Amino acid sequence: MKPAAFDYVVAHSAGEAVAALAGGDTQVLAGGQSLILELNYRAARPARLVDINRVPGFDHLGVTDAALRVGPLVRHSAFADLDHGPLGTLLGRVAHHIAHPPVRARGTMLGSLAYAHPAAEWPAVVTTLDGRLVLTGGAGARTVAAADFFTGPFGTVRRPDELLTEVRLALLPVGTGVGFAEHRRTHASFAQLAALAALTVRGGRVDEVRVGLVNAADRPVRARAAERVLLDRPLDPAAFAEAGQAAAAEDADPRPQPYAGTAYQRHAVAVLVRRALDAAHRDLAPTGG
Amino acid sequence: MPGLIGARLRRREDERLVRGAGRFLADLRVRRCLEAVFVRSDTAHGWLRGVRLDGVRSVPGVVAAFAAADFPDVPVTPPMMDPQSARDRPWPALATDRVRHVGQPIAVVLAADRYVAEDGRDAAGVDIEPLPVLLDPTEAAGGAPLFEGLSNVADVKEFGAPVDEAVWRDAAVVVEGSYRQQLMAHTSLEPRAVLVRPDGGDRFTVWCSHQAPHRLRRDLAGAFGLAEERVRVIVPDVGGAFGGKSETYPEYLAVFAAARRLDRPVRWLEDRAEALTGPPHGRGQHQRTRMAATADGRILAYELLIDADIGGYPHTGAFVPLATSMMANGAYVIPRLHVRTRAVLTTTAPTAPYRGAGRPEAASAIERTVDLLAHRLGLDPAELRRRNFIQPDAFPYPTVTGYTYDSGDYPAALDVALRTIGYDGWRAEQARWRGTGGAPLGIGLCTYVERSGAGEEFAAVEACPDGTFVAVSGCCSTGQGHETSFPQVVASVLGVAPERIRLVERDTAAVPKGIGSYASRSMQTGGAALQRAAGKLVDEARRRAGELWGRPVREVEHHAGTLSSGGHRLPLEELVAATGALRAEETYAPPEAFPFGAYAAIVEVEPELGEVRVLRLVAVDDYGVVVNPLIVEGQGHGSAVQGLGQALFEEFRYAADGRPEQRGLLDYLLPTVSELPPMTFEETCTPNPNTPLGAKGAGEAGCIGVPPALVNAVADALQLDERDALQMPLTPYTCWSAARAGAAR
Repeated sequence: MKPAAFDYVVAHSAGEAVAALAGGDTQVLAGGQSLILELNYRAARPARLVDINRVPGFDHLGVTDAALRVGPLVRHSAFADLDHGPLGTLLGRVAHHIAHPPVRARGTMLGSLAYAHPAAEWPAVVTTLDGRLVLTGGAGARTVAAADFFTGPFGTVRRPDELLTEVRLALLPVGTGVGFAEHRRTHASFAQLAALAALTVRGGRVDEVRVGLVNAADRPVRARAAERVLLDRPLDPAAFAEAGQAAAAEDADPRPQPYAGTAYQRHAVAVLVRRALDAAHRDLAPTGG
Repeated sequence: MPGLIGARLRRREDERLVRGAGRFLADLRVRRCLEAVFVRSDTAHGWLRGVRLDGVRSVPGVVAAFAAADFPDVPVTPPMMDPQSARDRPWPALATDRVRHVGQPIAVVLAADRYVAEDGRDAAGVDIEPLPVLLDPTEAAGGAPLFEGLSNVADVKEFGAPVDEAVWRDAAVVVEGSYRQQLMAHTSLEPRAVLVRPDGGDRFTVWCSHQAPHRLRRDLAGAFGLAEERVRVIVPDVGGAFGGKSETYPEYLAVFAAARRLDRPVRWLEDRAEALTGPPHGRGQHQRTRMAATADGRILAYELLIDADIGGYPHTGAFVPLATSMMANGAYVIPRLHVRTRAVLTTTAPTAPYRGAGRPEAASAIERTVDLLAHRLGLDPAELRRRNFIQPDAFPYPTVTGYTYDSGDYPAALDVALRTIGYDGWRAEQARWRGTGGAPLGIGLCTYVERSGAGEEFAAVEACPDGTFVAVSGCCSTGQGHETSFPQVVASVLGVAPERIRLVERDTAAVPKGIGSYASRSMQTGGAALQRAAGKLVDEARRRAGELWGRPVREVEHHAGTLSSGGHRLPLEELVAATGALRAEETYAPPEAFPFGAYAAIVEVEPELGEVRVLRLVAVDDYGVVVNPLIVEGQGHGSAVQGLGQALFEEFRYAADGRPEQRGLLDYLLPTVSELPPMTFEETCTPNPNTPLGAKGAGEAGCIGVPPALVNAVADALQLDERDALQMPLTPYTCWSAARAGAAR
């Protein structure tokens, strides 16, 4: 479990990092929580690593134009105790479920997005919240909608010479209830399945609802069928189970996992969606929607 | 020193270990040492058609690479305890013409560092022509032979006669079960490791992370045709073993052969990927049980049939199912017992003893069956056990399988467990939950008896002129705290402070002979031997003092390290100064002991997704006399958590192509501190009647008691009439599936 030889360069600016990527066969070292493991297994054998840990400003995390902007060096743990209203609350709840504290202290949100592990939480979060991802290459930057970013397990539209430099997540309106529910076998293991929900109510009716699924298909899932069950209908917690059933039947496309047949996975999706919506609903409760 | 036996002395080794000052094999610095990496089979079973190492040898920095063909005589692996089945099935250090599991060593690559050695490994060319994959021992028993002309059934053991059909037919109740002991990984913190240094003149020093240095010396010397005294084995600090480091493995021989050929030191440090792939694996049994009883729950007959998966070679694991069959009887009076075990070769990595080594498998089989019987009869499982226990006045108790249980009080241990967990209260709570549609709540019991220790052990105690003492043991601590507990035993005899006693073990140059540490034997056998050696030393000191003073020995007294008689007084160190070196040796072979205990678990099964939540776990163990409770409690905690791992999390799985499904500890899940339930440990004490020390083995109990207690609790929670769907590990999916199957019946 020793990596094959690789060259190592330290980038001190986004430009240097992109320039290094332009050289080809280069991978980005940020938190390293997945990359180092892959190197040790020799499953990844890049000719070169570009270390972006010393790029000034890459750790930026702040709100501009009503969107939370997240830089490439923002660690999972940075979301543990964030302001910014319901969005911050949701990100904090999700962050708590990622691996264990030492991994959260090093691993980054953008690294997780670029790696696109099917059981990772962040890809489903940004997909469900209509996040926008900024990819920077030699020819400049382009912005990709999260829904278009993920192409399959460990697959994204990022080109090898592009660096994921920012993710933008629109703030959720004040009064949005958020919830996250995860199923995993030990505290430190990957999610078998997870669901997130954001719920806004106006005049007693569901005004906006977002539901997302982790590890329920070959890529992150925005559970549109579940959302349709609830949208523009009077708020009724009894409908959450129905939404869960819709997510299980229509949105999820589970693959066999060890210790989880597909029927169980669909069942678990229904349960977790309902739980995430219940949690979001509890969030709403103090103001009565 | 009075009161030393039973004193909670802190472990002296811990200062070194917790400060990072321990010296493990990876910490050794040996000049010119090469690192070894193995080219391994990626195919479960096949003909080895070609090995090309030219590319390996041309990798810059690679010093050498060897395949089997590079050695005129490829050394074969000495078997552990079971030469019968291994004799005709050679396990070469490097594969010669055939591979029988993924991970089998095919070539060894040597370089100054492991990075380069792995580069070399990647440049090897290996051609394997696949043969059928055999993963299920029952299917493999009749499958294509792994060794031409030989059965895949390496060994069959049978105890008792087959039970008359009339017994099954006429019994008021008969229950049957089909249980699986999953394959497991040993996952010691420190994987296997060995370093061989040629010392000139065909002499060698071998450092190995091992449990039995003298046997390793004998095996290595034998494999290479050397006189034993040409090989010195030293065991440095060891980061856990759990039965997986008792054996001699092909890698050790290949490293030895390479060091000898190159006349350079060579080290192999197994990494986690290799360690998970194995060998060794632990457990791996298909069990079928049948039990007949009267209407009031008296057991009439018990049958246990086992097909054990021992992997591609029988050398390290074939005897483990025998250990299971010999403990099949459990803690009960069973008028008719019939056990048959088959040790079956498959194309998984070879199995080996894993903490408990056959006894957890035996306890699980009978304890699940007894619980099912209670359920079928509508009897309380505690009460059913009471009706069938071997009674305290029945010892020594001979079993059909040839053991003699030395002593025990099984009802007492059960009573302590029930009282500690609040059994009646939980039963009332359970009735309440069931009445109000609450989550499934279950209560599970396990009353086990196990076997510890076997064979002899060597001990010596020497008095030094400076007032200190040296205790020498043939045992071999792999983390059990011998540096503390063995001096404690010797000090209790000599009546001196334990700090004055230093332990020597784990070095064949300093210890003339020894068996080692496994089967919970160290204190029971090695400690008892040290106690007797210390007693002999006192006797000899009294004899010499009597001679010195011209007084009869019987009038020479020894107290607190000082001899006296009449007006004479002489501390032991002055006696040594006056009369010369004072040393006593003892080789002691007390019989096996049979520790026992009772475990109780309370679980809630989350009704939607099937997660098992362990609300309480109570362990009551009887280890006989406990020398150092602090150490024994640590062993209890550790083994209980490993038992929790088997019950809920761990399983080594193979895909249909015979390749492991798990790559690392992200896939092979271990319980961590976050998974620990509230646990309470209690003890009863029934001294070992066969040694003056009175200690029985400790250290494996939790692996034995926890899994059946938890499985029984989950079955109770789900109110399953048919329990075969409930196989370990009890993942949420498993419990959910079992509950659905149960509801559908």
